[in-house]
Amino acid sequence: MPINWGLWFDPFREFDRLQQEIDRLLELTKPFIPIRSVARGTFPVINIGETSDHVLVYIFAPGIDLEKVDLSIEGNLLSISGERDASSALKVEKIEPERYYRQERFSGKFTRVVSLPESINPDEVEATYQNGIIKVKIGKKEEKKARRIEVKAG
Amino acid sequence: MAEKETKELATREERIPATRTERPMVPPVDIYETAEGLILVADMPGVSKDKVDVKIEENVLEIRGEIADLPGEEVSPIYAELTGKEYYRAFTIGPEFDLDKVEASMEAGMLRIFLPKIEAEKPRKIEIKVA
Repeated sequence: MPINWGLWFDPFREFDRLQQEIDRLLELTKPFIPIRSVARGTFPVINIGETSDHVLVYIFAPGIDLEKVDLSIEGNLLSISGERDASSALKVEKIEPERYYRQERFSGKFTRVVSLPESINPDEVEATYQNGIIKVKIGKKEEKKARRIEVKAG
Repeated sequence: MAEKETKELATREERIPATRTERPMVPPVDIYETAEGLILVADMPGVSKDKVDVKIEENVLEIRGEIADLPGEEVSPIYAELTGKEYYRAFTIGPEFDLDKVEASMEAGMLRIFLPKIEAEKPRKIEIKVA
């Protein structure tokens, strides 16, 4: 019986893996990374996206006390700072540090600043917290919003 | 001998799915031991209560979670430090836990699992005599 290589040896999967490895290596050397980008494992992790009339910032910050978080916007810079006590999630009365086997979760103070597109309108901001993600929705300036251009038949 | 080899390959063929799947993210965890049991907390931002799956099979504890509220098609990414939509992590556990009383809860993107020890396995103080 001939072996069906395509089924259990998928060369494209290997290419994907290779691509990932190369991306990871390039990350260390490529010159065009945003100046405020950070190494992996930083807290909180941030993703930014945009729609035609909004810029959306997703801040992955599970288990933070919102009273200890300060979110602000100045021009096109969004900053978040605060403090997270990772051990509070254990729900143990008194933490004895020697009883940890693993302590990988971030604990302590953090500050991050991200630069947003110039088109944002800093007066139109709203932020919500759900499932450990802070979602910041920022409007775009009226003149910078994407407009649909009608193509007229000649 | 040759026949045996083909057999082995054939079973392997079945085991590996042909579809290419995205590699899940590895959530950071804290593991802490108390006299009553082990506590595990995993950071899985974006995962809601109904999208998390905790499974114990034989001696393996598996944690799986899916980000519930992914941005829709209309959102185009500008910058992403986190890519992926699934979390997965597994640990092997010993026989000292009472698997019927395992508690798991999801709160603000954090999964907390409590693995209680079987009564008889709880620590007893052993007196050390001076010889």
